Amino acid sequence: MFKKRSILIFLLFILLISPSLSGIVNLNSKKDEEPKEISLILKTQSGDYWKNVRMGAEVAAKEFNVKLDFTYCSDETDITGQIALVNAAIERKVDALILAPSDYKGLVDVTEKAIFKKIPVIVIDSKLNTNKTSSYIATDNVKAGEMAGEKLVSLSGINSRIAIINFVQGSSNNKDREEGLKPIISKYPQMKVVYNNYILPDSESAFEITKKLVLGDDKVNTIVALNYISSIGAAQAINEMGLAGKVNIITFDNTTEEIEFLEKGVIQATITQRPFGMGYLAVKYSVLNLQGKKIPKYVDTGLVVIDKANMYLPENQKILFPFTQ
Amino acid sequence: MKSKINRLLKNLLNTAVASFKFRGIQFIITLSFTFITILAMLFVGIVIYNKFSTSLENNATLSTKQLVNQVNSNIEYYLKSTKEVSNLLDKNIYLNQSIPNSKLQDQMNVIQNIRSDIASLAVFSDKGELIIGSPNSVLKDKVNILDQEWFNSALNKSDNVIFSLPHVQNLFDGKHDWVVSLSRVIYFYKDNVRLRGVLLVDMNYSTIGQLCQNISIGKRGYIYIVDSDNNIIYHPEQQLINIGLKSENRQDYLGSYLENSDEGKRLVTIKTVNYTNWKVVAVAYMSEILDFKNAITSFIGWILFVCIILIVFIFGFISSKISHPIKQLEESMKMVESGDFNIYIDVKGEDEVKRLATAFNLMISKVRYLMGQIVIEQEAKRKSELDALQAQINPHFLYNTLDSIVWMAENEKSDGVITMVTALAKLFRISISRGKNIITVREEIEHAKNYLIIQKLRYKNKFKFEIIAQKEVLEYKTLKLILQPLIENSIYHGIEYMVDEGFIKISVSITNGKLLYEICDNGLGIEPYKLKELLDYRVKSNTGSGVGVKNVHERIQLSYGTEFGLKIESEMEVGTTIKIWLPLVKE
Repeated sequence: MFKKRSILIFLLFILLISPSLSGIVNLNSKKDEEPKEISLILKTQSGDYWKNVRMGAEVAAKEFNVKLDFTYCSDETDITGQIALVNAAIERKVDALILAPSDYKGLVDVTEKAIFKKIPVIVIDSKLNTNKTSSYIATDNVKAGEMAGEKLVSLSGINSRIAIINFVQGSSNNKDREEGLKPIISKYPQMKVVYNNYILPDSESAFEITKKLVLGDDKVNTIVALNYISSIGAAQAINEMGLAGKVNIITFDNTTEEIEFLEKGVIQATITQRPFGMGYLAVKYSVLNLQGKKIPKYVDTGLVVIDKANMYLPENQKILFPFTQ
Repeated sequence: MKSKINRLLKNLLNTAVASFKFRGIQFIITLSFTFITILAMLFVGIVIYNKFSTSLENNATLSTKQLVNQVNSNIEYYLKSTKEVSNLLDKNIYLNQSIPNSKLQDQMNVIQNIRSDIASLAVFSDKGELIIGSPNSVLKDKVNILDQEWFNSALNKSDNVIFSLPHVQNLFDGKHDWVVSLSRVIYFYKDNVRLRGVLLVDMNYSTIGQLCQNISIGKRGYIYIVDSDNNIIYHPEQQLINIGLKSENRQDYLGSYLENSDEGKRLVTIKTVNYTNWKVVAVAYMSEILDFKNAITSFIGWILFVCIILIVFIFGFISSKISHPIKQLEESMKMVESGDFNIYIDVKGEDEVKRLATAFNLMISKVRYLMGQIVIEQEAKRKSELDALQAQINPHFLYNTLDSIVWMAENEKSDGVITMVTALAKLFRISISRGKNIITVREEIEHAKNYLIIQKLRYKNKFKFEIIAQKEVLEYKTLKLILQPLIENSIYHGIEYMVDEGFIKISVSITNGKLLYEICDNGLGIEPYKLKELLDYRVKSNTGSGVGVKNVHERIQLSYGTEFGLKIESEMEVGTTIKIWLPLVKE
């Protein structure tokens, strides 16, 4: 009788202690839950711009404890390659997707497929022709174009002959910048836009076309290069021809080459974006979105016009020369 | 196996439920012990928790302070070492006859090579010309040294070493390093002319970052450095601050204090760095301490919970062990209460309870025996009472007496008739005596006398009798009709068959505090074997002889106990003495 009872008590003891023990274990393990996996798909990896996007994303990933899965295409125009990357991310069943689309239309289908598979997508840098994404975080490129136009007017005056150097691409950024720029120019009928045909997406063709434009009959005295690739080509051409200061160049972004040209006076002004903030906010909002919090549908990461005079102001230093610790 | 366990558990649950319904010892023991233990545990738990959380907070504050001190001294050490480099250079430059020269250039190159954290070393004249620099680099076009902040602050505070804010050093061609600049006024000779200039030592910004980078305070806490105007010199999330996604409050105090932020309460500890006006600021999140506290609270809570359940069951078990045999006893007593004496308790339990059960069993068996005894005695009493009743109106005696009266009437012996009838009347009055069982000794003697009168007449003076009674005994109470059966016995068995004249003597006295009747006759006596059986209850005499005697004896003993009753002494051919012992009762 007594023996049987003590066995029962022991059984009961085990029975009682087991849920509480597991409760304590649960309590501790709750904090070490599996981090969310976020896939960051960029247009390409080369250039300070994308490096800063990635750094910003990595800082946020560390802060919010997510696993960042970073992929990119070799070329900004590799649309099929980027579609493949998005598909791969869908197959890996990542928790969220951050995409810098190479093409305004080409990436729509695969993005919507991801969203259909319950992977929220945040688009950064360039617009995508869908409204199903969770958020769009980018520079206001139309405004960037406007700022370039205003700077152009103040630099070269209203009697300038302007060449807009751009290249063919599906991404909306360059188009938007042009859209911002053109109305400013058209306010002044004396201004003449002599060239705005698209060139190939490399610095060499920009270099060649700049030489032709400056030395040719068009007598272009102001160049607006709508992205950093064409900016570098144009600046190199002007520098080589020794026309620094005589031909004004307004560029976009803040690559090391551009900064040096700016110091040398080859580039007069550059419109800089904030890629670090873009990457950071993309990951931060992805995390908040996964946590079910409300996030803004559109975030403007801001722009600064840098010229030689203000480039070493403390606040601009910080934008032009991000730490690369 | 599983069903077995299920059954076991079910049984246990049932017993547990059943035992808790019982608001008895078990309930009280379980409840009070559990209550006291829980109170004690809660008290200990709370005390421990308080002690723990206070020391946790103290430790957090202390360790944050220590971290700040450590970082502070690291930075101090670093800045001091850089300052020493500048001191060394200052001395060397001053000792040189004329700079620039290759010897000094070599020295500067060596210093710069050894100290990889020094990005550049340069000497400028107070006009802003580069005199000498390492690495031996070219100034950028159009750089105006006179605009540089480090240059001007050095010249303005000529006796001090100046540390700048972090900035991009844009002096040299192809270089855009983030540095913190040390600048100071120096004097040097150029072509034997003593000139005033500025020495610049650029420290790689990342080195300062490294001094703070690996310091972590909890999971989210961090350290940053500001200057006296709260410009951030180092911050682990510098980029976010630079692009305006993060900001820090102004830190105008020194020491430790708590502040509220969007991310909860934080403990801020601030200390100034020597040589500079920099401040090291450590931020620790109290919520982490709170998380830890919560974890401990829930841990203690769980332990309490488990212990309480365990205690309830353990005390339930112990108390049921104590109360179970008592309950068994109680149930048995209830059975006894309802009249069942045929039980025996087999209690297993603690010593006390076992003894109690044994005593109970003993008591019950005694009660059982006594009950049996009472039943037998009551039966006997009833029977003897019936016999006594019969003796009151013995029809045989009445017939004989009436026959004698008739006989005397026929022979015209009117005296005898009168005597007899009078005696008979008296006899019956006393023997009936309104149904009472107890009469006075006087009445009993009267009754015996009348009986003897009648018998003497009937037996034609075959015997004589004498009655002696002390005066004081007369008013004592006595059972009635105890003498008559004995006298009858004496006459019928002792005197009737005698040849000589018989004699019956009756005396009443108080002897040894008891009432004593003595009936002596000189009859035939009783045979010894008969004498033995005469007063023995176990021998049922059916012959009639001695029934009356035995009956009297029984009646006395049933009424007053075994110390009273009859004592018979008899000798053959000599006579018999019967002593009747009764208690002295006087109402």
